Amino acid sequence: MQGEAPRNDEFGFHLEEKPDPPFEWREFGLEDWPAFLVFWGLTVIVFLQFFTRYVLNDSFGWTEEAARYFLIGTTFIGGGMVCRRRAHIAVEYLHTRLSRAGSRRLMIVVDVITIAFLAYLGWVGWRMIGMMAPQKMAVIDLSMSWLYWVVLIGIVIMILRTAQSLLHRLQGDSPYPGDI
Amino acid sequence: MYIAILFLAFFGLLGIGVPVAFALAGASLIYVLVSGAVPDVVVLHRMVNGIDSFPLLAVPFFILAGNLMNSAGITNRIFGFARALVGWMRGGLGHVNVGASVVFAGMSGAAVADAGGLGTIEVKAMRDAGYDRGFSVGVTAASSTIGPIIPPSLPMVIYGVMANASIGQLFAAGFIPGLLMAVSLMVMIAWYARVRNYPRDAAFDLCVLWRATQNAFLSLMTPVIIVGGILSGMVMPTEAAIAAVFWALILGIFVYRTLTPARLVRVSMETIETTASIMLIVAGASIFAWILTSNRVTEHFAALVLMISDNPIIILILLNVILLVAGCFLETIAAITILVPVLLPVAVNIGVDPVHFGVIMVLNLMIGLLTPPIGLVLYVLAKVTNIPFDVCMRATLPFLVPLIVVLGLVTFIPSISMFVPTLVYR
Repeated sequence: MQGEAPRNDEFGFHLEEKPDPPFEWREFGLEDWPAFLVFWGLTVIVFLQFFTRYVLNDSFGWTEEAARYFLIGTTFIGGGMVCRRRAHIAVEYLHTRLSRAGSRRLMIVVDVITIAFLAYLGWVGWRMIGMMAPQKMAVIDLSMSWLYWVVLIGIVIMILRTAQSLLHRLQGDSPYPGDI
Repeated sequence: MYIAILFLAFFGLLGIGVPVAFALAGASLIYVLVSGAVPDVVVLHRMVNGIDSFPLLAVPFFILAGNLMNSAGITNRIFGFARALVGWMRGGLGHVNVGASVVFAGMSGAAVADAGGLGTIEVKAMRDAGYDRGFSVGVTAASSTIGPIIPPSLPMVIYGVMANASIGQLFAAGFIPGLLMAVSLMVMIAWYARVRNYPRDAAFDLCVLWRATQNAFLSLMTPVIIVGGILSGMVMPTEAAIAAVFWALILGIFVYRTLTPARLVRVSMETIETTASIMLIVAGASIFAWILTSNRVTEHFAALVLMISDNPIIILILLNVILLVAGCFLETIAAITILVPVLLPVAVNIGVDPVHFGVIMVLNLMIGLLTPPIGLVLYVLAKVTNIPFDVCMRATLPFLVPLIVVLGLVTFIPSISMFVPTLVYR
């Protein structure tokens, strides 16, 4: 019974479902797939924790720590996707007041600032890897520098994707707020 | 004085359109480099530490659950259920709109998701039934703000992490205020319906209700799992979130069979994108807030506000005004991360419970989603319904009145928010 989709006329209005566009690998960037893996890894870990706590009454100690690190991984690797799709949350008020050309020029400045900031952050990350080398994770027997490697890789992807967006803008396309 | 640099840099970067996350962290970096008070590695260390938190795991899973629900086509089932339940009233579809939003609020944590998914169906159904487009959009926009007040709620999760308050209690606290919002909107709709003589939908029919309930039953279990689990105090929010994901996957893959592999990949990618953009803001806010607190800026601000007046009523009104104005310009998550460290000490100083203040803050910011110049919900609705932005804006204005009345009640009567959490947790 529940398997059937509700007949539209039953509810007195017609709702045409738009068919999904065909799946294309080009929709996604190269960095989306590692993010995809980290994210589903995170999902499995948290589910495992839930399961072991409620069903086995004894949660695996490493699941909590691993879940936190996988969330950090999702954030920084997924950040590349955010930069590529220009999906950042930003205050767009000024841009609604500017002309298209003015907005584009200002966004070029924004991209340059973003890249400069991320580059400095990446340099900090590089040094953190060295500093964290002797420090171990709490439960998992690994060095904390592993976590900062992931963070650094995420920052580098974000830099590359923002640089790509900057290049597009310099070539004159893509107003703000914009989809590529 | 270096703090002035922090604020100047932050508002400058934010104003020209630097992503909120980078404006927060970038201004912090500039402050750290100029003042030389702490080594620069602190910036990244604080950012990473800020999102190294177990409660934050609720964020990706509530987003995933909401996205899965939207793509599994269960929104029409819920709409059908609400229609059979309250459609017989005068101005029926308006009430249906609010009812469906309440049910959907029990599954989704973001107003924008509510407007984008359910809103499309709601506006279309109302337009088809002959309602004018202003009324259709106004009701839809106003009712979508119920989403983040009734649990689950992404803004509440972020607030809980920033304010160090129990997310379970915050969720419980939003329950009654959310229902109040629904009631106030329905009163407004009933009044409109009388004045404008709006039609009724089909007469109440127990058979139709029974069929609609059967059709929507498994979908309706989602809010039962989430809200029930949290209100009973049995599961933590993160666990409720993962349970909701699991249930949504079962519904989408095995029961409704609407979740194809291609859809699953797209939904996952969307979830990762939203998660990353929100978590980057939380990371940036962590270092920003750390600088504010370690320099005792927030303490000084609280002292300053208390110098203006020590009358709690005046201060509460002042806090509401600040929040309303901030909500007009800032995105919700960004506003919470920036304002919690600044405003919470003031609220605590006049004896407001952090959980109560969380409801006040989120409610204010939700109203901000409906007001120009940014009005994210209006922006989304204008896009999905092809109704011009300024029509949406003007149509929504009258519905701000009931919401602001509820805001006043919630602000000055703490027990509206605190009744359920006290019952469950203390």
